[in-house]
Amino acid sequence: MVNKISILGGKTFIFLSSKFNLGSGSTWPGHIALKLNPNFIKETLGSSKTKLVIVAGTNGKTTTARLITSIVREANKTYLQNKAGANLVNGLASTLISGATLSGNLNKDYLIFEADENALPRILEQTTPDYIVLLDLFRDQLDRYGEVDTIARKWHSAMQNLNNKTCLILNSDDPQIAYLGTKTQAKVAYFGLEKIQSAGYEQTKTKHGADSTHCPKCNEKLKFLTIFFSHLGIWECPKCKLKRPNPDLSNIPSYPLVGAYNKYNALATTLFGLKENITLKDSQNAFASFTPAFGRQEKLTYKDKNVQIFLSKNPTSFNESLEAIKELKGENLLILLNDRIPDGLDVSWIWDINIEEILDKKINVAVTGDRAYDMGLRLKYAEFFTHVIPDPEQALDEMINKLEDNETLYILPNYSAMLDIRKIITGRKIL
Amino acid sequence: MNKLTIGWLYPELMNIYGDRGNIITLSKRAKWRDIIVEVKELNPGFSDQTLKECDLLVMGGAQDKQQSIVNEDLRKHHETLSEMIDAGIPGLYVCGGFQFLGNYYKEADGTIIDGLGIFDLYTENPGHGHERLIGNIAIQPNIDELTNLIVGFENHGGRTYLGEDIDPLGKVLKGHGNNDGNTEGAKYKNSFGTYLHGPILPKNPQFADYLIKLALELEELKEIDDTLEIEARKNVEKKLIL
Repeated sequence: MVNKISILGGKTFIFLSSKFNLGSGSTWPGHIALKLNPNFIKETLGSSKTKLVIVAGTNGKTTTARLITSIVREANKTYLQNKAGANLVNGLASTLISGATLSGNLNKDYLIFEADENALPRILEQTTPDYIVLLDLFRDQLDRYGEVDTIARKWHSAMQNLNNKTCLILNSDDPQIAYLGTKTQAKVAYFGLEKIQSAGYEQTKTKHGADSTHCPKCNEKLKFLTIFFSHLGIWECPKCKLKRPNPDLSNIPSYPLVGAYNKYNALATTLFGLKENITLKDSQNAFASFTPAFGRQEKLTYKDKNVQIFLSKNPTSFNESLEAIKELKGENLLILLNDRIPDGLDVSWIWDINIEEILDKKINVAVTGDRAYDMGLRLKYAEFFTHVIPDPEQALDEMINKLEDNETLYILPNYSAMLDIRKIITGRKIL
Repeated sequence: MNKLTIGWLYPELMNIYGDRGNIITLSKRAKWRDIIVEVKELNPGFSDQTLKECDLLVMGGAQDKQQSIVNEDLRKHHETLSEMIDAGIPGLYVCGGFQFLGNYYKEADGTIIDGLGIFDLYTENPGHGHERLIGNIAIQPNIDELTNLIVGFENHGGRTYLGEDIDPLGKVLKGHGNNDGNTEGAKYKNSFGTYLHGPILPKNPQFADYLIKLALELEELKEIDDTLEIEARKNVEKKLIL
């Protein structure tokens, strides 16, 4: 009965907050439902046939969750998904409230939930998912999340409590993620890249900023036969012989987005699909008409010129955005750096990006945002000629005015800066 | 023509929090003065001879697991490093690097890890229930040649307590510093320990130049345009309402 009250009350709250534009009504109902009944999530999910699919990782979770919804839709199945930002335990409860009928039923085939890295262990205390898709772990907002090893340790102990009701879909090329598959009762399937697909990316020495360079089991320095980017590659430990597991899926005919990192997202999605009897053909069809999530390689127009936004929020995502822009032969770049709560207050990470190794010095680049001067300094010391224009709208206008009609302005913002610039471009607020 | 040899201690392991920016800043600021720069990457297994060839040493922070590998390797160079520091070879030791040079580090569970004992200080992690000290920070440096404030970002669980034979790097104006919001970092001969990331040198070019001058025993360096550096520092000062 308590759950029904939570659902009714929560739905009313969500309705009112969206009707009167009270901002994000996406986590309070869940918070209250869990206060009234700490087992709310367990009971609501337990009484339904809905399969819970959790997606987590530092980079790519929003895109992967969106790819999964696209193939589920293609296969004519129904789903429920969490709203952006509602990615903690409260967010899971709130998503259940918004999707449940008043009698507490879910009536959907899947609940696809993008989880915050730190919240994942707590979510697993609340419920046992059918699938957990784990993409990667990179340094990200160290002031908020802590170090990569700290999160890996928490994940590792959370995985040990799973049983074979759960299937883990793991990245074989990230040592810390792959290692999670070795000490669990859950079923495990791996996705990874093959050497042949990665022409141009291959190296064998990790570049600056790679995080998991040592064996997750014995702490010896890992040997990489191939590196695709950062610390993702074909790895083995010379001491304890732990090595990259052979991936169950490493290639598909076509990928929905550019960049090596998006190959991982597409492979993870396809592998999940295969486990759920969603055919390769269905996945490929879904990918062919896929439109990216906001800010993730999203194409927009502004004053009749083309812009494309590449959310770049930590060293690896920034480097990989630069690689993708290089692949697209981009010549005009606008970088936005903010230091608000959702971004992390610490901007030190910009010194871990390898822009001088990736882009040509001829590129036309401007920097803006709350920390425009910090980013300007980073580029000065990389010896790029840079325009520092702290006001984002002015920076955007100056770059757009210089753009030829057939050119694209590539925009690299971190999180809050992405919301800001998107609002300037579209004239609307999304969050 | 002058040549600056920078010894970068454990770049493969102690490279978190963007501290590579200190190496980039020192290298570029020297290069822009027509000084030839060589950066020696001192990864586990380096020789004492290579260490001795360096004019300036720089060490950053790391994750806990990596710190234990460094701790083991660094012991092999204890004597040489200690002699170099005592002889006035300048160095910048950030966060984990700073803690290593002290007498010991006491972990949250009470385990004591011996330090190199070159800096008269010790560090304790008070453990669960005590927050990490995280945030923007500004200090008034305790070095006559530095007339500007130093700004940065701190993120550390350990609290460092200075002994009698060592001075702080500066006085905290905003932030936490070593432990209680009073002193920050340490200064011993020409070696400096600090909790400041950001990284510390790009926004504090006076400090970067001071290290270069100490390393090459120069009185002056050619002026360069630091407008952007100054704006970046002032932006942090403004955030801290200074």
